[in-house]
Amino acid sequence: MSNFRTSQNKANPNKLNNILSTLIFILILNVTIQIWLLYASLNNALDNNREILIPAFIASLILFLIGFSWLYYLPKGNYKK
Amino acid sequence: MSKEDNLDKNWKKDFPILKQEATQVSRRDFAKFLTLVSGGLMVGSGLVAAKAYLLPKEEVAGEHFVCKLNEVPVGGTRGFVIEGSTVPYILIHLENGEYKAYEQKCTHLSCSVFYKPGTGIIHCPCHEGSFDAMTGDVIAGPPPRALPKLDVFFKDNDIYVKASEEKVFS
Repeated sequence: MSNFRTSQNKANPNKLNNILSTLIFILILNVTIQIWLLYASLNNALDNNREILIPAFIASLILFLIGFSWLYYLPKGNYKK
Repeated sequence: MSKEDNLDKNWKKDFPILKQEATQVSRRDFAKFLTLVSGGLMVGSGLVAAKAYLLPKEEVAGEHFVCKLNEVPVGGTRGFVIEGSTVPYILIHLENGEYKAYEQKCTHLSCSVFYKPGTGIIHCPCHEGSFDAMTGDVIAGPPPRALPKLDVFFKDNDIYVKASEEKVFS
């Protein structure tokens, strides 16, 4: 059976290189947004503004889930059987 | 062969990993590490929200005596703590005759703030933060939030404080 993984394993190393770089770029972007969200929610919690905390947590959770499922596309390397 | 050489050889046999291999991080591992960091930040956000909802900051309850009216001269200040708490507060007798009470902890990194007589500015010496003595708002510097304040009121010749009614969140 041929699936996404089979074709990825056969892909040109240049292509895998691009996939990996893009993946890391998106992950860094996600982490940056999460740092901002955490900083903002901490400041608002200390200032007794609670209404932003739950949306910030949900946004952070979604970003983490995106990053986590993103790892599925992590190339396994060009190994041969 | 010297003793050092022998030691060196045995040491390398025990840890047969080249320095280059030990320090090199593959991009694959880096991506996984970023995801771990992302999870950590998500958990952190969750903890902040949980803390705010489950263990809210306690408001100052009731009225508390600070000192006599004539004990604080114009432009003078007096530090005090409320019984049962360790949070330091500062009572300021402003030049316009008003009394104000604020938490003495800078909202940046909790350094002790002090009032600069004659300027109307509460100053934090650690990172040059400035607060407006009339409102507690940030004027300059790194503090992200206004100083928490207490309401000051008088009974006969005594100064009392109670929780500020200006901002009520529940």
